Amino acid sequence: MSTEVYVIYGLAVILTTLGFIKNPKKTKIGLKKGLKSFLNLMPILLPMFLVIGLFLTLITPKLISSLLGEESGFFGVVFGLGIGSITFMPPFVAFPLGKSLLENGGAYPQVAGFLVTLMSIGFVYFQAESRYFSKKSAIFRNLVSFTGAIIVVFVVWVVYL
Amino acid sequence: MKKWMKNKFLIFGILALIALSIYDYRLSFIAIEKTYQQIISMLLIVPPIFILIGLFDVFIEKETVIQLLGKESGLKGLFLSFFLGAFSAGPTIAAFPLALLMMKKGAKYGNVVFFLMVWSTLKLPILIYQVSELGLKLTLIMNLTMLIVFVISSYLIDYVISSDEVEQMLDKSS
Repeated sequence: MSTEVYVIYGLAVILTTLGFIKNPKKTKIGLKKGLKSFLNLMPILLPMFLVIGLFLTLITPKLISSLLGEESGFFGVVFGLGIGSITFMPPFVAFPLGKSLLENGGAYPQVAGFLVTLMSIGFVYFQAESRYFSKKSAIFRNLVSFTGAIIVVFVVWVVYL
Repeated sequence: MKKWMKNKFLIFGILALIALSIYDYRLSFIAIEKTYQQIISMLLIVPPIFILIGLFDVFIEKETVIQLLGKESGLKGLFLSFFLGAFSAGPTIAAFPLALLMMKKGAKYGNVVFFLMVWSTLKLPILIYQVSELGLKLTLIMNLTMLIVFVISSYLIDYVISSDEVEQMLDKSS
């Protein structure tokens, strides 16, 4: 468990209490609305985690570090950006993985590209994002992040090599 | 029930799981375990986010949001969007309903998209942790580069997505 989890629970408890003191009726409506949007998200979220679970089974850290080695060059970058875009990991899993990839012979630009796309691009979110906003908006956001990741790869390449 | 049947992810996931079981049933056990872990870690962090979304919905007035994050909010609005996204926790998908609510309350679309991008990538509370795992240099390059790209894109978005298209998003969801 990380501190951010405690902070967000603490915030929710404090604000709900304050809400009940200030206006119990409004607070009840708010909590009901929150529950409703939570339940609306579940049919999208739960099957998505099945797909993520499958990805994480097939794409192991061993496979990733073998694809992102010092000699992997351009294709290593493409693999890094590609795998990072389709998989999803919480930061507390992603950063130690990045560290172990670097320690196991992964090259800096490839691993950096992998980490940035891992966080910023959610291929699995695309369907949900299009539904909430629009397809064009989802494409724009992911394209921007992908461009950013390519720039990161270049900067790391220049700085480290 | 109908909603679940239509879900492409569910159908794809189940088919892939069956294919995986035929290939090697042990792998499908691992996949189910990983899915379970992901769901548990999500259920730990997501409920309070939705409590906050609900409270935000009823207690924060539209006028306040327009003033702080609306079309005239300028640099202050951008800073506020940054802090809202950077001091968050949870998967990006939990940010979608919150971002939509911000839009409904009159936040500028560029600010909303910036907030989403910051939420996904730039997490200030765990910056020190990131430095300890990846080193200061790599952390700085990754975070600063993405921040600059996100800021530029939040200004560019007005040219890509017209205000009519933003209106359509709001109509669709209401």
